[in-house]
Amino acid sequence: MPAVFGPTANLVTKLVLCTAVAGLVVLVGAGWLVPMTGYATEQGIVQEQPVPFSHEHHVGGLGLDCRYCHTSVEVSANAGLPPTHVCMTCHSQIWTNAKVLEPVRQSLAEGQPIRWNRINALPDYVFFNHSIHVAKGVGCTTCHGPIDSMPLTWKGASLRMSWCLDCHRDPAPNLRPREEVFNPDWKRTADTPSGQQLLAQYHIHPETLSDCSVCHR
Amino acid sequence: MSEKAINDRASIARRLVGKRGRSLWRSLGELSRDPEVMALLQREFPGLPSLTEAKLGRRRLIELMGASFALGGLAACGPATVPDVAIPYVALPPGVIPGVARNYATAVTRGGYADGVLVVHQMGRPVRVEGNPEHSASLGALDPVIQASILDLYDPDRSQTVLKAGRIAGADAFVTALTARADALAAKHGRGLRILSGAVTSPTLAAQMEALRRRFPEMRWHRWEADGRDNVRAGAALAFGRPVDTVLHVDRADVILAIESDFLDAAPGHLRYARDFARRRRAPEEGRPEAMSRLYAVESMPTLAGGRADHRFVARPEEIERAVRALAAELGAGPPDWKADWKGQGPGWVAAVARDLGAHLGAALVHAGPAQPPAVQALVHVINDALGAPGRTVEYIDPVEVDPVDHADSLAALVRDMRGGVVDTLLVLDANPAFTAPADLGFAEALGRVPLSVHLGTHVDETAMLCGWHVPEAHVFERWSDARAFDGTVTIIQPQLQPLWAGWSPHELLAVLGGEPRPNGYGIVRDHWLRAARERGEADAEAFWIESVRAGVVADSAAPPVTVAVSGDLVAGLPTPAEAPRGDALTALFRPDPWLGDGRHANNGWLQELPRPFTTLTWDNAALLAPATAERLDVKNGDVVALTVAGETVRAPVWVLPGHAADCVTIPFGFGRTVAGRIGKGVGFDAYRLRRGDGLWQAAVRLSKTGGTYPLAATQHHQMIESPDLVRAGTLDEFRENPRFAQRPVSDQSLYPAWEYPRNAWAMAINLNACIGCNACTAACQAENNIAIVGKEEVLRNRQMHWIRVDTWYEGGAEAPNETLFQPMTCMHCEKAPCEVVCPVGATVHDTDGLNVMVYNRCVGTRFCSNNCPYKVRRFNYFNYAEDDPRLAMSWNPDVSVRARGVMEKCTYCIQRIREARIAADREGRPIRDGEVKTACQQACPAEAIVFGDAKDPDSVVSRRRGSPLDYGVLEELGTRPRTTYQARLRNPNPDIQEA
Repeated sequence: MPAVFGPTANLVTKLVLCTAVAGLVVLVGAGWLVPMTGYATEQGIVQEQPVPFSHEHHVGGLGLDCRYCHTSVEVSANAGLPPTHVCMTCHSQIWTNAKVLEPVRQSLAEGQPIRWNRINALPDYVFFNHSIHVAKGVGCTTCHGPIDSMPLTWKGASLRMSWCLDCHRDPAPNLRPREEVFNPDWKRTADTPSGQQLLAQYHIHPETLSDCSVCHR
Repeated sequence: MSEKAINDRASIARRLVGKRGRSLWRSLGELSRDPEVMALLQREFPGLPSLTEAKLGRRRLIELMGASFALGGLAACGPATVPDVAIPYVALPPGVIPGVARNYATAVTRGGYADGVLVVHQMGRPVRVEGNPEHSASLGALDPVIQASILDLYDPDRSQTVLKAGRIAGADAFVTALTARADALAAKHGRGLRILSGAVTSPTLAAQMEALRRRFPEMRWHRWEADGRDNVRAGAALAFGRPVDTVLHVDRADVILAIESDFLDAAPGHLRYARDFARRRRAPEEGRPEAMSRLYAVESMPTLAGGRADHRFVARPEEIERAVRALAAELGAGPPDWKADWKGQGPGWVAAVARDLGAHLGAALVHAGPAQPPAVQALVHVINDALGAPGRTVEYIDPVEVDPVDHADSLAALVRDMRGGVVDTLLVLDANPAFTAPADLGFAEALGRVPLSVHLGTHVDETAMLCGWHVPEAHVFERWSDARAFDGTVTIIQPQLQPLWAGWSPHELLAVLGGEPRPNGYGIVRDHWLRAARERGEADAEAFWIESVRAGVVADSAAPPVTVAVSGDLVAGLPTPAEAPRGDALTALFRPDPWLGDGRHANNGWLQELPRPFTTLTWDNAALLAPATAERLDVKNGDVVALTVAGETVRAPVWVLPGHAADCVTIPFGFGRTVAGRIGKGVGFDAYRLRRGDGLWQAAVRLSKTGGTYPLAATQHHQMIESPDLVRAGTLDEFRENPRFAQRPVSDQSLYPAWEYPRNAWAMAINLNACIGCNACTAACQAENNIAIVGKEEVLRNRQMHWIRVDTWYEGGAEAPNETLFQPMTCMHCEKAPCEVVCPVGATVHDTDGLNVMVYNRCVGTRFCSNNCPYKVRRFNYFNYAEDDPRLAMSWNPDVSVRARGVMEKCTYCIQRIREARIAADREGRPIRDGEVKTACQQACPAEAIVFGDAKDPDSVVSRRRGSPLDYGVLEELGTRPRTTYQARLRNPNPDIQEA
């Protein structure tokens, strides 16, 4: 009776076993790595919006201050999205017939808010507060990226917990003088106080910042 | 749960005999050492089968584990919770800052009387009710019922449209119909027009009624509150010849006698009284032992005042009346034969109490609850007069209620006229007489004879079903109105949001009747007050109006005291007290449920699930019996009995209550609603069917066993801890002898990690000397921290979610415990926390300030922490309780995570409030100020029993409380170093009175 398995069976068996092991490694690795990619975090991915609002034009070009639209950023957890009325402060005067602004005019006329596609979203169990970050010298662009050069807005950071903790454990490199917080062009210069100096000036105690209760309630 | 040993008196006696010193017990089952109750002590999760008891084979175990693993993985695959759109305002409302809470003042009424509140808003959405510190009746505190009013606002079962004969009809059709009827009525001077409402204190409504009377001179206005204060009103009229309201000054009282009194839990002004009372009780540890007041209570059923009394005397209703007469005689305010009448049969305490009261002339006070008959109420006025109380510990003011009438007579007259065909139009404003009217009146049947009946109510209820028209009423947070507090202070009730479902206010309905087809509640109230402002001589009426609305208090609107004299022939004219029912009949005591009131809050899940004081019952009412009576009748907890009053029979489960008067049965009403909504319908039994016009508060009742049993979800055996001195108490004399009697030496050694607290060390101090056991803390915590309700089935399995509970302890015998102690229990935030070291996933951890924090998103639900917690204060989400809660999604507090299934939770010391204060302080570069963080329970507590703050700051209020000689930690002998500490209870007994 001839052998059930020919000589190639050894090779096939080895190949199958190796593929299985490799496949497992790839699966586990993918499960580990994919959530870190931009594909999962949406970092750097441009979102379509009902109105193609350009931060590049309004901030980089016109030089509007962040707080003109995001009015509550210094006093509240929420930075605040501009109400339609804020858009219309200017656009009732300029570009009054622009087609791209039609949803804004419609919002005002009908009293229905504009529904923007959310770019920076946190899970419900995370309680982020803008005002304290701004007060402690964390610039807008530190988290939101080069907002003054975004024709359509994308997510500037992954917003993964490890990214939060990187800064909460060692905030010094991300601090700037308070008056530069809203400056999208700010660069550290020779005159800038060092991160350690700012840390002391703002009374930041990094050893308290990685308490779970800082963000989770 | 078995209660079979409850009536085992021999075993109770064995336990008490040979016990030296204090012996405290939580329930009769514990007192009698019922083995099943004792078994509950051993296990954290008594509702779950034990793995060692379960007959599980190896294969079966692996199957179950595999299935759990797979299903657990599936459960994690839920829909994403992150919203993908961001929606700004079109126009930002003035003053609104997204993410920053704002408060607006208004008031909530109970029986017409107002308590000032602040409603907390997030972006225009009311999320919580707090007390208004500027309001004389609240002083910043709230009771559970008012706190739960926010849940009523968001009740999805609220009435949403105008109904005509049960079918949806437009508001316009209703206005047309009512206007046409009003015109017809005006032509005949309003003959046949009747309005029925609850007690009203609203000045605007009073003015509207005046105006309506001008248009309809023959109109009649009837009043009905099932849990109203007819007896109090009648007693004052009897004593003084005219109705007056009594305002107490508990802070000035050295000696108080409470006669089944509600002055700590329900009387108008009770929040203020509780604060004044607690301040006098805390005096010893503040270095003024002589300032501690003394409270006596005499009552048939336990009240909070009785629970706090230094001497509590259990008496049947007719005994109470005789005792009060004897007391009057002892004080020289009644004929001496009253004294003799009592001496013949009553115990000697009356003379001792009379001596004590008489020794504190001008600083003594007697108060009787609303269930006491007018004769007792009148005698209380006589006694107070003899004690020199008027002008000192009591003040009289003109009645706060508009046009005070006897509600029972008023309703009876209405029904008589309805039956006689005299009534052709009836408006029922915010009342439910078809459910609450005395059973023998036949209201529902008589209502059928009224050609046009209109019901205004927040819910489609029993009355709405019988009325021709039903109009949805705006919730008190949705309408303009006004109301007066116990002392006459006026609050303008301002709406907190647009009516969710186009509700009407009573003012608007009356305006339609008055001929205004498009009424505007705002205009009606505002016009009234602008007119009032001009009459008051305010220079700027508009500014006066705005300031009144803003502050929640109309300045200088408290009623001035009036002088009244006790009529001379009063004492002679009083009827002799009734005799006890003869034969085997018992005395039924009809009392409102403390949370549901007359039944109007039946659809409120928070109130249904909040344990009642003393009984700890949730989701049910029960016939309450004394242990001796239960033994005689051979019934135990959960036995169903038939209660028969005048031929009408109702079946009810029994609950045996320590300290209840023998041969009486307390029957709480407010349950058993037939039309209420998905939560309240059919919960409990309807006691109104036994309540007759001639026996509104007490009646002879026959009780017979049926042989059936009924599960009652009482929490008294939940989270029991075995320890000899969880709750510590002593007398004032013991305190004087050794102020540190409550403290025990505690070892400092520990194997646990040594933490350092560089910044703050948050701590809570709970003063048992102040706590009145009202459960306001539990309700406040539930509202603040998004605590879900679980339902009766789950409560029966020990699964209620309350983060703070109020344990009740008794000292002494079961029939008349010498002392009742209340102890709020919540997470102790141990510095050496046993829960932290056993969590396999680091979901419960220590933070820099020493808080023991829960990280919900890490928790995988092993429940090891709960198993290792000696205090049994952790709660587990066995199901998706929050998601299953029918309340509207917008009603949750956005500052606190809503927990999912499989997650452990517990008190966080209101971490969200700490973080908010921390962020505000850090923004300004300053430390957190003492008092800047108030926990929800602390804020609501009327007695200031709970304080919170930084234990590292030696000047903080909490540090001072922790420095009290009475300060001790529960189970501190375990070395847990709890951050929550207690100040022991003190009692101020009268040495002349001997105790059993």
